[in-house]
Amino acid sequence: MNNLIKAEWFKLRKDRSFWTLVWILTAISLLYIVDSIYDGNVQLDLLYASEMLGVNFQFMRLVPCILAGFFISGEYAAGTMKSIVSSGNSRMQVYAAKLIVFTVGAAILSILPLLLMTGGVGIYVGFADLPDAGFFFETIGLTLLYAAAFGSIMTVFATLFTESGKSIGFSLLFFMFFDELLHLLSSKFSFLEPVWNNSVFKLQYDIANVAALDGGQWTRLLAVPIITFAVFAAIGVSIFQRKEIK
Amino acid sequence: MSEYVLKTNQLSKQYKQQWALRQVNLAIPKGAIYGFIGQNGAGKSTMIRLAAGLAYPTSGELELFGATGGQALTEARRRIGSIIEGPALYPQMSAVDNLEAHRLLKGIPGRECVKRTLKLVGLEGTGKKKAKNFSLGMKQRLGLAIALLGDPEFLILDEPINGLDPMGVVEIRQLLMKLNREYGITILISSHILSELHLLATHFGIIHHGCLLEQLTAAELNANCQQYLHIKVDDPQRAAFVLETALSTTDYEVSPDGTIKLFQFVHTPGKVSTALVGGGLVIEQFMPMGADLEAYFTSRIGGAAHE
Repeated sequence: MNNLIKAEWFKLRKDRSFWTLVWILTAISLLYIVDSIYDGNVQLDLLYASEMLGVNFQFMRLVPCILAGFFISGEYAAGTMKSIVSSGNSRMQVYAAKLIVFTVGAAILSILPLLLMTGGVGIYVGFADLPDAGFFFETIGLTLLYAAAFGSIMTVFATLFTESGKSIGFSLLFFMFFDELLHLLSSKFSFLEPVWNNSVFKLQYDIANVAALDGGQWTRLLAVPIITFAVFAAIGVSIFQRKEIK
Repeated sequence: MSEYVLKTNQLSKQYKQQWALRQVNLAIPKGAIYGFIGQNGAGKSTMIRLAAGLAYPTSGELELFGATGGQALTEARRRIGSIIEGPALYPQMSAVDNLEAHRLLKGIPGRECVKRTLKLVGLEGTGKKKAKNFSLGMKQRLGLAIALLGDPEFLILDEPINGLDPMGVVEIRQLLMKLNREYGITILISSHILSELHLLATHFGIIHHGCLLEQLTAAELNANCQQYLHIKVDDPQRAAFVLETALSTTDYEVSPDGTIKLFQFVHTPGKVSTALVGGGLVIEQFMPMGADLEAYFTSRIGGAAHE
């Protein structure tokens, strides 16, 4: 297992799509910083809670879809998944290593804009009105947790489609519209309401309100992405165990 | 300890309504170079994919280094190196990085094996050039280098010489022979270039429509391949008359281009040349020949045209 994770980490570090996304997110973050400074009268703690987290939610759900397409589905297209599967490691280990390292990559892409935007604006306006440290680290931690949950779903799609283009296209459409669709359906069919209320798609928006949540809401905010990750990891392993590698 | 590296028992594989393999009993002895021969779609790749764990059999058993089923079979695959349906490369990486990724995957300690293996296949000077910019022959060599990482005991090579130039084919053949003879590596190789397989393999398996028609050693194959004398003279009709009268044989064929295939006197060619010269004929070509693997394969599968 250790070998597999080392190999996956090596490949992530060499993955061109990963670095391209890092540079694109860096450029977008710089544009955001310049735009914020141009607007003037910036208060960093308010900007962080009201805007940056909101902007970052979109990055968190969409950008890693592209990485999943290249980093996971690309292995099938290049034929390299064949050498991984025939390397003498169990399929569960192969899937787990891929999921873990992809999740790390997705997490990096998910917090990078947040850190750059906060840091960049902070350098300009000064760090006097930084967000409260507790709030800042809680939101960063929750962002990582939700990125992992979304990552586990993306890994399943990338394993199912095995072609980068199809995988990216489907995942982007899914993550762009599924929350709206689920929300709409839950308003029409009451039995879907608990599903919507306890889904990562709804709860991610509570990250920005974390300071106002009570104990039960906090528990739910933490438990749902962990359960989502575990459930989709199990689904992914089950699919991968049965899959014939072409 | 099994004397066979790979052995199957009534192994079958069905895709929807079509049988890709039917009750195959294949046995590859330790130390063999096993030439796996069949037309496109005959079942070679399916057999190789089952051995590598990329697909699951519908029925039957597969034994690798004596291990069957579950975790034991998975672990036995650590002793295999393979190229399956083309070399598996990371196109954006250099040759060194491709090997490094596979070295980490296989858990091989020390990076020195990367350079050593690249040198072995003649790719030591490729520097930072990305694999996607390699020629087909270079990609094949890199695929072979990946398969050789970690000193496998069993190499599974599906069409490993595709795209190689003539010198490359000779080099790879010599490399495979060296690996087999000096390091005792057992090799399963499928190729459409039957003349190369004939030069390389010690054992052969012929598969057709998912059925393993025959397994035989190189010695058995050579014995089965019919020998003849290839003769070209200035007057084929007179030569035929001489063969029938002086040597009392009708076991020959005259081709439209005038060459004669004589299936007798293969081990006493002097009698034939003496008779032909005595009959006043000028001998232009005269040599013993044998049916090659291609002819034998074609005869075994019933003369079906290659796809």
